[in-house]
Amino acid sequence: MITDHLFELTGYRIDKESHITVNREMCTSCDHRACVFTCPAGCYEWNEAGARIDFAYEACLECGTCHIICDKGALQWNYPRGGFGVRYRLT
Amino acid sequence: MHDAIVIGAGPAGVTAALRMAQKGLSVLLLERGTVPGEKNMFGGMLPNCPVVEELLPRFLQEAPLERHIVKRTLCLLSDSSASSFVFESKNFDRPPFSGSTIYRPVFDKWYAQKAREAGVNLLTGCLVDALLIDGNAIQGVRIGPDRAEIKAPVTIVCDGVLSRLAQKAGLRKTPEQDALALGIKALFRLKEETINERFGLVRDQGCSHEFIGCTRGIRGGGFIYTQTETLSAGLVLHLDSLRKSGFAPYDLFEEFLACDTVRRLLKGARLVEYSAHMIPEGGYRKVPRLFADGVLLAGDAAGLCYTNGLNLEGMNLAMASGFHAAETVLDAFQKHDFAAQQLARYQSRLENSFVLRDMKTYEKSMDFMRNDRLFSVYPEIVSTIMERIFQADGNPRKKFGRIGREAARNALPLGDLVIDLLKGGRSIL
Repeated sequence: MITDHLFELTGYRIDKESHITVNREMCTSCDHRACVFTCPAGCYEWNEAGARIDFAYEACLECGTCHIICDKGALQWNYPRGGFGVRYRLT
Repeated sequence: MHDAIVIGAGPAGVTAALRMAQKGLSVLLLERGTVPGEKNMFGGMLPNCPVVEELLPRFLQEAPLERHIVKRTLCLLSDSSASSFVFESKNFDRPPFSGSTIYRPVFDKWYAQKAREAGVNLLTGCLVDALLIDGNAIQGVRIGPDRAEIKAPVTIVCDGVLSRLAQKAGLRKTPEQDALALGIKALFRLKEETINERFGLVRDQGCSHEFIGCTRGIRGGGFIYTQTETLSAGLVLHLDSLRKSGFAPYDLFEEFLACDTVRRLLKGARLVEYSAHMIPEGGYRKVPRLFADGVLLAGDAAGLCYTNGLNLEGMNLAMASGFHAAETVLDAFQKHDFAAQQLARYQSRLENSFVLRDMKTYEKSMDFMRNDRLFSVYPEIVSTIMERIFQADGNPRKKFGRIGREAARNALPLGDLVIDLLKGGRSIL
């Protein structure tokens, strides 16, 4: 899968802190968890064992899909700090 | 204090900043990437945009353009077949060309450099997360960890499709799922000679392929564009339709890459980069309010983007809107008036230019594209018709009209067909 090789393919300057905050409490009762399959970088995963959303901001492509898809208000969505985040070389 | 602040060093922002600087204004251009363009991605082709040549007369000679498009293919895919319509023109093989492929990180960086040479003060690595708002008027921005104030009588907001700042300025709401499409794209490296041979090109000629019927019925399509030594292949997926489908974009993408027609075009090419970006698909009706006291919106932030099925334009609309925003600001400086009433001229400028006129012309096309059948039923019907026309099986042939009627009758109710024909016709004819 293409998303397995994201860090080899696409450049990033990763910030220490996440630019998106997930309110996991809200995700527990979410009836669609569409963020899990719609994120083109596969940043969201439903952890069945822990019954929670696992989220990795590091691979975020900053497209905003999760921000638009999440209708539960569970995301505090921002762009990364200036100078951080995805860095396309050619694309 | 600067005369004007421009937020976002994409095509809209750089055009606006460049124009204002050329006319003597002191302009601060703010970009959240460390280099302009490093956050930017698009499908593939910058359509010819005369406004830019007005600003940079040597644009065609100097800009880092990859290949100019001389050949365009629309391909309808079904499970068993592919039907392509190919158009090529000698007229597109000479300046000013119909459009060129570019790398956005390369092009945007070059373009921003031109703005700097014209005197624009470019500050990179700078995310603007707040505007200075006094009553109804925008008076500048806040930047940095200490939220430093930078003031200017006018701010042009070009912060892209999600435009957080247009929302903060009260000009628009968060765009909705049905007004957005997700674009994903991969860049593949292939030798220049191989690209030329495979796609039937010479020199710096290029071509584009659009695919319909490759998205499991999700509204959207696929594309392949040629650069000098790379191919861009990707999918555009309407967000509401994607969500309803339950499919992951990268899985759909792998399927697209694996289908025979696409696989042959990409054979031997090495994957080198993957990217994703949102596309405004709301059309004319979803264009927000474009101005308020001390502020103008341009480019994707203003939802300026459209498709009619064959034209897919946004970057040229961004540049032209940036230009008109700059002209509006220049007028405002003459009058020393930055109130909404004065800046309203921006709206009429865009309405008189191709920017809003094209969006209005194809307003109904954008609605028509929200018809699911276009991406599932119709590619199958075309496939059935073409197979029946070309199949020789010892049985007597039927006239094309009869084949068509039968194929359509078996695939969808007559009423739907009639409605689609009427709506489709009205949207483009």
